[in-house]
Amino acid sequence: MARLSYAVLGLALFLLLWEAAPRLGLIQSLFLPPPSAIPGAFLGELRAGFWVDAVLASLGHYLLGLAVGTASGTALGIAAALNDRLEAGLSWVVRILRPVPGLAWVPFAVVWFGITEAAATFIIVVGVFWINYYAAFGAAKAVDRDLLEVADAFGHGGTWPRLVKVVLPGSTAGILAGVRTGLGQAWMAVVAAELFGVPGLGQRMMQASSLLATDVVVVYMITIAALYGLTDAIFVQVRDRLLAWQR
Amino acid sequence: MAALIDIRDLAIGYGDAPPVLEGFSATLEPGSFTALVGPSGVGKSTLLRVLSGLAAPRAGSVALPGRAQPGRRTTAMVFQEARLLPWRRVAGNVAFGLEGLGLPSTERRARAEETLALVGLGEMGRRWPHQLSGGQRQRVNLARALAVAPELLLLDEPFSALDAITRHTLQDELLRLWRETGTTILFVTHDLDEAVYLADRVILLGGRPARAVRDFRVDLHRPRERDTTAFAERVRELRGALSESVADGAGI
Repeated sequence: MARLSYAVLGLALFLLLWEAAPRLGLIQSLFLPPPSAIPGAFLGELRAGFWVDAVLASLGHYLLGLAVGTASGTALGIAAALNDRLEAGLSWVVRILRPVPGLAWVPFAVVWFGITEAAATFIIVVGVFWINYYAAFGAAKAVDRDLLEVADAFGHGGTWPRLVKVVLPGSTAGILAGVRTGLGQAWMAVVAAELFGVPGLGQRMMQASSLLATDVVVVYMITIAALYGLTDAIFVQVRDRLLAWQR
Repeated sequence: MAALIDIRDLAIGYGDAPPVLEGFSATLEPGSFTALVGPSGVGKSTLLRVLSGLAAPRAGSVALPGRAQPGRRTTAMVFQEARLLPWRRVAGNVAFGLEGLGLPSTERRARAEETLALVGLGEMGRRWPHQLSGGQRQRVNLARALAVAPELLLLDEPFSALDAITRHTLQDELLRLWRETGTTILFVTHDLDEAVYLADRVILLGGRPARAVRDFRVDLHRPRERDTTAFAERVRELRGALSESVADGAGI
């Protein structure tokens, strides 16, 4: 209970300072719109229909990109962990591709897919792929060898039974840690993916900022934060159910 | 009735090193209880792994009854550490070896419950492994192996990490389960008292490379009493043979 009241107090102080700074003339309200200006800006966006459209469009990119990036990154990570030749073959490919930031892929996304939903989705896929690759690779490598031997001893020595009965359940915690990092990373990638004109939250933010409508920019910042909070809260519920066996 | 198990001229080694065990032959009578003792490093655990198909021998052969009866496995292993799958409930762990045998899930579940009751954990099926004590985990380890009704039950020092009271209780439990199931047992231990208490026959490994240096019949009738002179006599005899074999083994 004490924790909660401190959290509320901290948030109230933060909003108060934010409100006071432009009002006391410490900073121009164009540069930092006070929080009291946000609800009005939000209602304007909502009534014009921009907000719902942007949220739905971005959620579409987000969920598809997240699903494809997470599934492919996890699958390749586990495959590399189980197969020494694949791991060795990928080692330098991974070192070359991994440090390339998501934004650097934008020109290629546009060339390959045009200004399309697919281009935006591609940027998000790239943004979460490596996180999940490394998380799954590490988790699958760390699976207890003694438990793999138990699988062998009880007739589950084949690649598929080992994978399904020991490797996957044994690396679930590690894989899910990667998925969770990806959840946040993918929202950042959404904004980058929409900067070049694909409709969504990022595009609407860019339009508002070019018109110096900073209050509208803040509306979309808060929207992304809220959507992230929601996806993360849902994720934690699912994770706790999947990992109920842990103490 | 379990079938005869025939081990012929087995050699075991690691990598390019000279073999640790050589020329090991033994015939295990159906339904017999054999203990395998010897100093560490003679390949006792590896011998069990070879018999269960987890490792290949360098030479020699093992004649096990083929997979005759459906719904059973030829061998089953009870590991030194419980090695339960932490993401499966206790009943799921016991059913682990039953999967892939073509049994319907209702029968798998029924057999897991039955075996859990047999090891005295009838009420624990819904628990997670981390909610059990060390002794209870070892019972689940045992139940997992018994559930597949093996022709040959292999145990690798299963009670060595337990306190004395739990160990003695589980030794008696094992003897009861052996009588009830009639399975053939090969039990690795370095505890001579345990070997004499449990087994019909004690095979002593020693030397370098190791071979079977002695083969004792334990002719004490059951239930055995630890505090009798006959029992102490057998343990002393075994200890003498063990230290003799250690003294013979060059470089130990």
